[in-house]
Amino acid sequence: MSSRSFFIGGFLALLILDTFAQVCFKLTALHAEPLTLDPPWLLRAFATPWLYGSIAGYLGAFVTWMTLLRHIPVGPAFAASHLEVIGVMVVSIPVFGEVLTWVQYLGAALILAGVLCLANGEPPESAAGENH
Amino acid sequence: MNAAAIALLWAVNLATDTCGQLAFKKAAIENREAAGWAHWRHMLSRPWIYLGGAAYLAEFVAWLAFLSTVPLAVGVLLGMAGIVSVMVGGRLWFKERFTRPRLVGIGLILAGVALVGAGG
Repeated sequence: MSSRSFFIGGFLALLILDTFAQVCFKLTALHAEPLTLDPPWLLRAFATPWLYGSIAGYLGAFVTWMTLLRHIPVGPAFAASHLEVIGVMVVSIPVFGEVLTWVQYLGAALILAGVLCLANGEPPESAAGENH
Repeated sequence: MNAAAIALLWAVNLATDTCGQLAFKKAAIENREAAGWAHWRHMLSRPWIYLGGAAYLAEFVAWLAFLSTVPLAVGVLLGMAGIVSVMVGGRLWFKERFTRPRLVGIGLILAGVALVGAGG
């Protein structure tokens, strides 16, 4: 696999797992309402399948992140992980009925351009001489 | 909450965020020969991954406290500072280079995060 497709595929997986986990987390909170922060509330939360989807999503995202960090310098990797901002934006339109401004769409486009720029800028030879 | 307390929360947030990511990076690149399960067993036998996890937990608490005191736009500014500090930390600890594509890419992401945060 080329470093470019590893980079793009890895961050796409991270984006999907992270967004999935966050949506499940939100659905867990909705199903466990009212938010009383007591044992019955915890029981309601653990009784929904969404909680387990959320845990699985976060675990998958963590494994993906550690795999990415093994091969990609942490500075660009951490910056590229802000791709999740777009995931949350896109999902919040249908799920939370949010209306986005054109400034936010422009911001999302800039984040995407930045991630693609980082993906293209990580040639295989960057592994040489760099301690990562 | 006074300005000094907010500044302290900001510093705690930035420090835990940066230290956590650098610890995870350190965990991920140790023992380069091992792959798959052997690599994970090795990571779990070393302190770095736990240090990163503890930093994540501390960051979560500090983030909630921070967001309850300042507008979200200021929180977005903090997120941008984290991108810069992790990049500088990676340079200092792991000798990561500031190549032109990296600087341009990170600059674009910083601008994008700012617009998404401020444009809402």
